[in-house]
Amino acid sequence: MEISPIFFYLFAGVALAASAMVILKRNPVASAFSLVMVFFAFAGIYALLDAHLIAAIQILVYAGAIMVLFLFVIMLLSADVPSFDLRRAHPVARAVGGVLSLVLFGFFVWAFKNSPSPAPLGNFTAENIEAAGGNSRVLSELMFSEYILPFELTSVLLLAAIIGAVAIAKRKQSLPTEGRRK
Amino acid sequence: MIMEPLKTIRPELLQLTDPQLAALLPYFVVFGGIAVVIILSVVRFMKPKWPVFFLSLLTVGFGIGAALGLLQEGASELVFNGMMVSDTYSNFFIIVFLAAAGFTILSSFRYLDHENLQHPEYYVLTLFSALGMMLMASSLDLIVLFIALELMSLAVYVLVGFRRADRRSNEAALKYFILGSAASAVLLYGAALLYGMTGSTHIRDILAFVQSHPAGLPPVYVLGAWLVIVGFLFKVAAVPFHMWMPDVYEGAPVPVTGFMTTGLKAAAFAGFVRVLLATGYGKGLSEAVQANFHDLLWVCAVLTMLVGNIVALTQTNLKRMLAYSSIAHSGYLLVGMLAGPGSEQGYAPVVMYLVAYAVMNLGAFVVLTIIADRGDSGLNLNDLSGLARRHPWLSFAMGVFMFSMAGIPPTAGFAAKYLIFYSAIQANEISLVIIAVLCSAISVYYYLRVLVYIYMRDPVGSPAASRMSVWSVAAVTVMVVLTLQIGILPAKMVSAARKAVTSL
Repeated sequence: MEISPIFFYLFAGVALAASAMVILKRNPVASAFSLVMVFFAFAGIYALLDAHLIAAIQILVYAGAIMVLFLFVIMLLSADVPSFDLRRAHPVARAVGGVLSLVLFGFFVWAFKNSPSPAPLGNFTAENIEAAGGNSRVLSELMFSEYILPFELTSVLLLAAIIGAVAIAKRKQSLPTEGRRK
Repeated sequence: MIMEPLKTIRPELLQLTDPQLAALLPYFVVFGGIAVVIILSVVRFMKPKWPVFFLSLLTVGFGIGAALGLLQEGASELVFNGMMVSDTYSNFFIIVFLAAAGFTILSSFRYLDHENLQHPEYYVLTLFSALGMMLMASSLDLIVLFIALELMSLAVYVLVGFRRADRRSNEAALKYFILGSAASAVLLYGAALLYGMTGSTHIRDILAFVQSHPAGLPPVYVLGAWLVIVGFLFKVAAVPFHMWMPDVYEGAPVPVTGFMTTGLKAAAFAGFVRVLLATGYGKGLSEAVQANFHDLLWVCAVLTMLVGNIVALTQTNLKRMLAYSSIAHSGYLLVGMLAGPGSEQGYAPVVMYLVAYAVMNLGAFVVLTIIADRGDSGLNLNDLSGLARRHPWLSFAMGVFMFSMAGIPPTAGFAAKYLIFYSAIQANEISLVIIAVLCSAISVYYYLRVLVYIYMRDPVGSPAASRMSVWSVAAVTVMVVLTLQIGILPAKMVSAARKAVTSL
């Protein structure tokens, strides 16, 4: 299916502008809401690419669940300290950083201009996916057969993250004093 | 237009044959051990400290046993649709990682008591990190590699901040977490670009893509490859991606620092070598791209050796000094990687060096764990004055490790450095070897300075009681024996390393 260029540029532009807001806004809550905008714009791009399931998940999980948690944390910590201030940076650091990012940006543009368009990714065309039962079905079938290892490893990773979070957040336990020398 | 119907249900991918199950045994053992440790640590009818400690050691022991068994067979088995492989290389490194985790656990037992820290979570996270390292060495797919990297790093981020009451520990954990996440993001972006160019995250498909473009690779591919390499270089703390390391090493609890320098570094290098080789480094890449990789890595190696060694000269805190020395050792390892394609030993010296470095460095950190005061203080050079009078045997062990790191025979460090420099000469990297030898000479100064303080200065202040426990003493003894054994009779370790590398 042809991607409508107008919509692509619209969503991409919103994503870029909102990403800039995330780091430029001095109020953390404003930053968090800009991040929600970024997620919505991404969901739009995914939808343009016929990845409807991913678009829905993006909105439900990222924009919905994760960002709400972010906001709760920000509010609970009442972090009204300005998170970032460009003016505090040393002028030399600012100049060097700016020039280097421009060079990097130029290099990326050059690389993408001079590369052939990406290789076709198997026979996962929109029609084929439609014939095989739609996005959700193909995705879940792939996830539980071909990509079973990354899928299961992700749950191991999450388990490790939970244990780590508990270890850091747990209230201080009173250890028995016997056996301590000092 | 329907070309051929999609075939997404492939039940054959979900079935594991008997050899495949056997090949996965070390992973199952470690994960099963973790699960049991987690359950044991929440039961209420007993104190979890001792059972959890022994069970963690048992897990490590069985894991090493399983890997040794597989190493004996020497089979190579692809599992899960070729996403990971169990071969001599991965099994060899499994033993290294699990041994590092095991000795870390041994040396931490008394430390955790002293610092009033929780036991179960510490052991669980150490094992999780070891599991991530094992997967790093065996993954053949960029997605699996990324998840393994995250698993390994995430557990260590928490371990670095484990002394929650200490601000330096918090600061180190936060610094490491933010910079590490940024590096992971860079690696992931690189992997995404590679996927975009080649249409696959699988390393063998990427190799096929490389081989089908003998004339030259598209710039986006090179860009993606470089971003992935930068992610790895961050993990091994090569200059200019080393800024995080000294602060993190200083703030982390001493045994965790030991674990990071040995396990984490070995895992990052193991994954690095496998990915770089499997995507055609040294063979199959076009001349221009190969030269591009070679030159940039060359600059990186030289900078890493110079910065690491020269800055280490001025450090008075032992943890910081060992952090800079760890950067310097990354430089020597990069020399070995540059020499790999051109020498007849290939990458065996790198593997050998990783083992030797793990042994001597882990040993040094176990000694530091023993002599550190409460809150990890008392690790400045001055505090070591006259240590030899209080702890003659501990000082002897420290002497062996320092001689080994400086690369003085008859220790493991000498044998490993000799092999790396020899292979670099074979690969005609003469200028690189000259710089490496000079750097190595610089390093002798700061390693031996430690011994000067230990043996030739009078003790200052009142000696604090040390956390000597039978477990740490056992760990130090094993490390001393291994350091000398690899140093005096390196042939066995060399042949094991060579076998591991030929299976790549």
